[in-house]
Amino acid sequence: MRTLLILLKREIEDHFVDFLVAVGVTALLIILAVSAAYRGEEGEIPVYSGVLSLPLIVLLIVGFSGIGGNQMYADRTRKTSAFLSTLPTTRGQILAAKIIMGVLAVLIVIVPLYVTAEVLWRRVMPAMPVHSGLVFNVFAVVFLMCFACYCLGLLIGRTSNRAILTLGSILLTFVLAPLIVVKGFGYQANIILVLFIGASLVRTWRKFMSTSL
Amino acid sequence: MAQNVVEIVNLVKYYDGRCVLDGIDLKVPQGCIYGLLGRNGSGKTTIIRILLGLEPPTRGGTFLLGAGSAGLSAKIKGRIGYVAEGHNLIQNYKVGRLVTLCKALSHRWNDEFFNHLIETFRLPLDRKVKQLSIGMRAQLNLALAMAIDPELLILDDPTLGLDTVVRRQFLELAIDVIQKQGRTILFCSHILSDVERIADRIGILLAGKLVVDCPLEELKKRVRKLQVIFPDSVPDNLYITEIINQQSQGREMVITVANWNKQKQAIIETFKPSSCTELPMSLEDIFIECTKPSVELLAGQE
Repeated sequence: MRTLLILLKREIEDHFVDFLVAVGVTALLIILAVSAAYRGEEGEIPVYSGVLSLPLIVLLIVGFSGIGGNQMYADRTRKTSAFLSTLPTTRGQILAAKIIMGVLAVLIVIVPLYVTAEVLWRRVMPAMPVHSGLVFNVFAVVFLMCFACYCLGLLIGRTSNRAILTLGSILLTFVLAPLIVVKGFGYQANIILVLFIGASLVRTWRKFMSTSL
Repeated sequence: MAQNVVEIVNLVKYYDGRCVLDGIDLKVPQGCIYGLLGRNGSGKTTIIRILLGLEPPTRGGTFLLGAGSAGLSAKIKGRIGYVAEGHNLIQNYKVGRLVTLCKALSHRWNDEFFNHLIETFRLPLDRKVKQLSIGMRAQLNLALAMAIDPELLILDDPTLGLDTVVRRQFLELAIDVIQKQGRTILFCSHILSDVERIADRIGILLAGKLVVDCPLEELKKRVRKLQVIFPDSVPDNLYITEIINQQSQGREMVITVANWNKQKQAIIETFKPSSCTELPMSLEDIFIECTKPSVELLAGQE
């Protein structure tokens, strides 16, 4: 556990810029959402349309697949894991630290947005007749979508060059964005995304554990 | 019988359909300083990478400190110091940060010894690793490997690119490790005088095969270079097996023979040579002779 925490700290420090960008984008989105919410008439749904629009989904998909891909690509080209695995660590711990870092990066973006959306929903549109878990459901799908992109980024970054990394991210955007639009923010999208995450992680894990570093 | 700290069983490795290692069997007992030699591309680094679990083997098994290389635990790795060829440290880290990371991950860290090394090598902690010279990177890598007081030290051409003074410092450090009881060193180097100075067992790789695996002293005894002068002319056939190299000029013949023994000496004497002088051979001479083609003579013999 101690080793994992040290490796996690290392990952966060190494990708501090990614975290800063994520925090910056989140802060910007919150400001936009709040200003949009207080500008709109009561009864409209500016929070939903402002924060969770299609461009935002595309931004999140590209952003998180980029973070995952860049993390693994840099690791491979700099032979960081090769060095780390000669120290008292295991490959499993090195990869686990990367995955946890990804979860944290997604949470840093999603949790503040979720809290903002929840608060705005209650304050600005108290009379809106919707079921209580709507905002949570929406953000659950967004969280899974971001994490799925990150996992696929890890896989692409491990196996290919920057060109394929970019193409992979674009392809993923074209698959996931329509999926969200068609399936909506319900349990069906959740199941598909969980399966997607599982498949990506298993493939990344197997590659990372068995190939040369 | 001492425990084998390093064990390789029928190791085979293919790269893109090309056989790099062809059925290597090797055992390094505890306390042994094993010098693994071979020409460029002979597979030394591949063996070390497979041993450390950085590279999967095509076939065969490798074991370090009793554990399979593929699943080396963090605890086992904490007992192994490794200096990589080219010193692949994390290049974009500052030296101080790299040291902090290694120290945090290590199970035992000798601060006093490490600081002594850092002072001896005059390593700047505030500079990035990529800004260090090759020599300084080698020193840093060595200091990091030594600071954990390793039971097994694996050195892959550690003195490559070092000047004479630093190389001497390095060897003294290696000797320092050797003097600690039970410590084992596996190392590759192209500087054979270094190997000769500290190794007590030698392995020579040739075309993916381990053609020599025996104690250094025994190797020196077994490989003989003789200058034989015959009374009339050099005979067409000496009827001696295991001749590694043979050169003739006039009445003089210089032969290098593997597994030299009394029978071979008796065969030479049947030709009634005018003189038979043994020429001294350094490890470098033996290496050059042994890495010529058609040498498969000394592997696995004790």
